Amino acid sequence: MGNNAKDAELTERLVLIESMIAEGRRSAEGWGWTFVLWGVAYYVAFFWAGWGHFAYAWPVTVVAAGLVTTVGLWRHGGNRPSTTLGRAIGSTWCAMGISMFILFDALGFGGHLADIRIFLAAASAMLGCANFACSVMLKWKAEFGCALTWWTATVIASFGSVNAGILAFLVAIFLCQIVFGIYAMILESRWRGHGEAANG
Amino acid sequence: MAELPELNPVIHGKLRLALLSLLMGVEEAEFTWLREKTGSTDGNLGAQLMKLEEAGYVAVQKRFVLRKPQTLYRMTEKGRVALSEYVDALKQLLGAGIAPGF
Repeated sequence: MGNNAKDAELTERLVLIESMIAEGRRSAEGWGWTFVLWGVAYYVAFFWAGWGHFAYAWPVTVVAAGLVTTVGLWRHGGNRPSTTLGRAIGSTWCAMGISMFILFDALGFGGHLADIRIFLAAASAMLGCANFACSVMLKWKAEFGCALTWWTATVIASFGSVNAGILAFLVAIFLCQIVFGIYAMILESRWRGHGEAANG
Repeated sequence: MAELPELNPVIHGKLRLALLSLLMGVEEAEFTWLREKTGSTDGNLGAQLMKLEEAGYVAVQKRFVLRKPQTLYRMTEKGRVALSEYVDALKQLLGAGIAPGF
């Protein structure tokens, strides 16, 4: 074998190593659809609660969305490999979801959630917190933008009128859940495409 | 003149190299996922994984999830060191220049 052919083969080996390591890391990802799902769930819960069913609209919708998420992750990612990063991201969102569920149910059933702005401000702050943590873990500026959007909604809900708080919350859901989720799904499908091309 | 390094023959096989590299990026992975990513057949994949296991580069764990058998593979510390050394040797042979992503 000539030197050039040998070098080409060795270079091919290095490229293979690089692409396979990246493929392993990427395979743990695939969360875009959960953002869209939860964005829709927030809208459903919000408008359902607006029709006068505040007591159970949120708990029922959140539990239903949680079940759909669990089943979806189990069905589509059943054989996905486990990574520290994947577990860190999953635990961040899980911790935020459980905290929100307990906090708002406790406040609501305890009769201390009279002003909707408390709910809007706290929910936005917690979503901002989770987005920020994930943006740092993934070094992802778009998700950092989501964190800033949620925190802006927190400030508007705290200082603005009820209508301004509601509008900021709905806009944040649209941008940070629906638009960001679709964007993440597009990126994930591109990554999968590259991975398949590298394997082929 | 410095002596050129030899490439580890256990790792040098293309499928075994792909398997170790895949396992480098994750904590543990299922047999079915490794098959999906490498496009290999069950028999060939099992044989190559066994060679890596015999060399002490991967560890295997069998368990049942919802009554279905599941075989999980993870890279050992020895495997990590071996792959790093293999990459260093490759770079040395190529006169350096290409830096893999780890």
